[in-house]
Amino acid sequence: MAELVLNNIKKSFGDIEVIKGVDLKVSHGEFMVFVGPSGCGKSTMLRMISGLESVTEGSIHIDGADVTHEAPSKRQLAMVFQSYALFPHMTVEQNIGFGLKLAKLPKKEIEEKVAEVARVLKITDLLPRTPRQLSGGQRQRVAIGRSIIRHPKIFLFDEPLSNLDAALRVQMRLEILRLHTRLKTTMVYVTHDQVEAMTLADRIVVFNHGKIEQSGPPIELYNHPANIFVAGFIGAPAMNLIATTLSTDKQGTYIDLDGLRLPFNLKANAVDKMSVTFGIRSEHLEVCTNDSPDFQAQVEIIEDLGSESLLYLQTNFSTEPLTVRVSPENDYRTGQKIGIQVDKSKMHIFDTETGRNMS
Amino acid sequence: MEKENRFWQIVFLSLPMAVFVILIIWPLTSSFYYSFTNWNGFNSDYQYVGFDNFIKILTDKLFYQAAINTSIWMVAAIFLPSLFGLVLALLIDSSVPGGSIFKSIFYLPICLSAVVVGQTWVWIYQPDWGLMNTVIGFIAQEKFNYAWLAKPDTALGSVILAWSWQQTGLSMVIYLAGLTSISEDLIEVCEIEGASTWQRIRLVIFPLLTPATVVVIALSVINSLKGFDILYIMTGGGPFNSSDTLAMHMYNESFKKYLMGYGSAISVVLFLIALTIIRIYFKQLKKVDEIYG
Amino acid sequence: MADIQLPHGTGAPSAKPFNPWPVVIFIILSILAVLFLAPTVGVLFSSIKTTKEIAFGRLWDFPTSVYWGNFADILSNPSVQGYFVNTLLITVPATVISITLGILNGYVFAKLPFRGSGILFLVIISGMFFPPQVILIPLFRLFNGLHLIDTLWSVIFIHIAMGIPICTLLMRNFFATVPNALREAAILEGASEWQVLTKIALPLSLPALAVLVTLQFTWIWNDFLWPLIFIQSDEKRTVMLGIVNLKGQYSVAWGVQGALSLLASLPTLIVFLFFQKYFIKGMTMGAVKG
Ligand SMILES: Nc1ncnc2c1ncn2[C@@H]1O[C@H](COP(=O)(O)OP(=O)(O)O)[C@@H](O)[C@H]1O
Ligand SMILES: [Mg+2]
Repeated sequence: MAELVLNNIKKSFGDIEVIKGVDLKVSHGEFMVFVGPSGCGKSTMLRMISGLESVTEGSIHIDGADVTHEAPSKRQLAMVFQSYALFPHMTVEQNIGFGLKLAKLPKKEIEEKVAEVARVLKITDLLPRTPRQLSGGQRQRVAIGRSIIRHPKIFLFDEPLSNLDAALRVQMRLEILRLHTRLKTTMVYVTHDQVEAMTLADRIVVFNHGKIEQSGPPIELYNHPANIFVAGFIGAPAMNLIATTLSTDKQGTYIDLDGLRLPFNLKANAVDKMSVTFGIRSEHLEVCTNDSPDFQAQVEIIEDLGSESLLYLQTNFSTEPLTVRVSPENDYRTGQKIGIQVDKSKMHIFDTETGRNMS
Repeated sequence: MEKENRFWQIVFLSLPMAVFVILIIWPLTSSFYYSFTNWNGFNSDYQYVGFDNFIKILTDKLFYQAAINTSIWMVAAIFLPSLFGLVLALLIDSSVPGGSIFKSIFYLPICLSAVVVGQTWVWIYQPDWGLMNTVIGFIAQEKFNYAWLAKPDTALGSVILAWSWQQTGLSMVIYLAGLTSISEDLIEVCEIEGASTWQRIRLVIFPLLTPATVVVIALSVINSLKGFDILYIMTGGGPFNSSDTLAMHMYNESFKKYLMGYGSAISVVLFLIALTIIRIYFKQLKKVDEIYG
Repeated sequence: MADIQLPHGTGAPSAKPFNPWPVVIFIILSILAVLFLAPTVGVLFSSIKTTKEIAFGRLWDFPTSVYWGNFADILSNPSVQGYFVNTLLITVPATVISITLGILNGYVFAKLPFRGSGILFLVIISGMFFPPQVILIPLFRLFNGLHLIDTLWSVIFIHIAMGIPICTLLMRNFFATVPNALREAAILEGASEWQVLTKIALPLSLPALAVLVTLQFTWIWNDFLWPLIFIQSDEKRTVMLGIVNLKGQYSVAWGVQGALSLLASLPTLIVFLFFQKYFIKGMTMGAVKG
């Protein structure tokens, strides 16, 4: 259990600044997920927390103590790597007990602790094997075993599931969640997969270009994305984003989509004719059964996912197709013309220039 | 982390670097210094003589002879064993029965010292009962009595043959290692595309052996620069300096005539030649690296 | 009717046309092998024949009887025993220490690079390419000043130094193949850099060590130049100096020289056979990839 505070962290490799000022507080026992596209600096941030990478500017505090310049081994953290980083020349038992052996614990005690961890992770049978003889999921479990045995203050995970196949990934996701429920240790988990982020996190931090775009509970990010980037990144299928312009007249602010007038009550100052991006999630568009739809569209592609279907629609006001979620028991055909109704309470308007959510 | 890294860098590097600097770098630089003196190896009251030693080099006939021999030696001693090794590797790699026995036989000479090899080949070239003359005599059906190592025309060539015999195994092993690392897929693609054996070797295997060639050439250069021992044993640079190399010349001037200053000047020239070779090599290496990673 | 030839690709595998190439290659290789073995066989024959037999031109005849006198001469000769002890006293420490220094260097260049380490690395491995003669005179002077001339130390020291470039190159290449994540995982488990090296990186680099032990042992054991320069008295001579020196002791001593050559080659042969399996593997993994 520990609290982690990041204070205006910056990091440069040579002249290139890859982390551009990150402030964050991770509370006791929180499951924090860093998510963002590849190369945005998530791993670098995690490695700075672990101490493997030095901090160019700013400070890191664990339980109130400044550990910015502390050696990695002194920070009492554990890290699970994407490649698992199991020592190939050691058995599973030796891998899990490695840290305890370095700490010069009595042999007997190490054996007991390893056995206990193996029991919890259900890998007792694997103890005498070497990593080469294990499957991906088993390796993952061993890597987790190695990290939990020392009861670290904070767990760090760097894309631990990205080397697994889809089914196993879902299973391991659940196990990691279970582990967190059981241990209640603070966890910082890095992934580029927003589904993983949504399902695991108490709180998500969305990174982009070395900066935090938004942080908050998954549902908050989903419902109230702070900017275009978060809106597009969180949620699958991605939010429909349509470039347009804002207009103002006596009745208020609105956008005009090929004759469809959508009025807005904006928090931010709106300027007439400014470029904005209109955002609406696929489940907030509805195929219209009555004869007064908001707009007409043509079905281009139908994706049947089993539990639901996605329609990709061609419209007059967007070059990109619009996605609409419909029930799987539908009988749409490609090329069919349908009417669409917009859920007016779930619309977003973003300032195209700054990306900020204005609604 | 950076502080710890710095600490360990210093801990790890200090001993090796101290040895390297004291026993390699420092002597290397002092060679330059001595090359401007007339030190004889014993007296400490030697004088600074400016470029005299280098001027002497320009007029030293033996130096030219040695330089030419060194060039012949380097080219042949690098090229021949590499080529033989490649041929042997290709033959053995064709999944011939007894491949590993052949491999061991061809590799065996590498384990032998230059002294033993030199000694043995002296017996092969021995005029009266040497293997060379025995075999030639047997084929020609008359007594053959040629003194291979005692004739200026054949001395250097004879040593090069002995050298090639010894060094071939090394390039063979490296090429074999290179061949095993060529992916089966590529060979199968060749078969599907209907390439002939020769096409396969020329268009696919040779280019993919480039990294192995880089290593072979590097090792050959290193070894042939050290080819002092075998020449010393087999000919001692003779007859009439016909197999004298720069290394041998330098040894004779320094340790037989005690002209250490002049010897140093020769070694400085040797150094500059080596430096040129290294630069060419690293340039090529960079090109290869770009293609083959 | 068994060997009806079918066009390529349509026949069952059993009806393939006879392929003469493996046989041809086998014959070529066999001839080459005989040629290759001849010199070595010469040494072997000379060691079991009397010098007189050899002088009468019968070195290359297949021996009808074995003469053990050469070996008896050699083994009972106290100075020859001394040659072997001296060579061992030089080769073992020089091999071990040069590899150790190469390991330390290689680890830093592979896993703890710093600004300028790339250039330093190039400088060190350039050392491989220089003919040893270049540093001979100043070293002679240095060792003379330290009263190390005519001691085994001088030869040990120079072999340690001359071994640094190749050992550094191979170890760095090998350590580079050890994933960085392993080092980082070990560090987070509380390992020091020294422990990462000894408990993780080295155990994973055994093939490289096999290559280096083979190369260094062979090279140092067989070396002739450095002992020739630094050793003067007979009690300090190495085996290789001893072989050459035998010429001086007996006027013509082919048989004895052959026997000593054979014995002198055994240690390197044994080392090679012992590490052969790893040697090839190490070459493939560490060296060929440059
Ligand atoms: N050691 C390094 N040296 C130089 N640049 C680096 C180094 N490590 C990472 N980077 C750069 O920093 C950026 C962020 O990398 P990283 O943190 O690994 O991204 P992510 O984990 O989000 O995919 C990338 O552009 C990467 O190229
Ligand atoms: Mg990453």
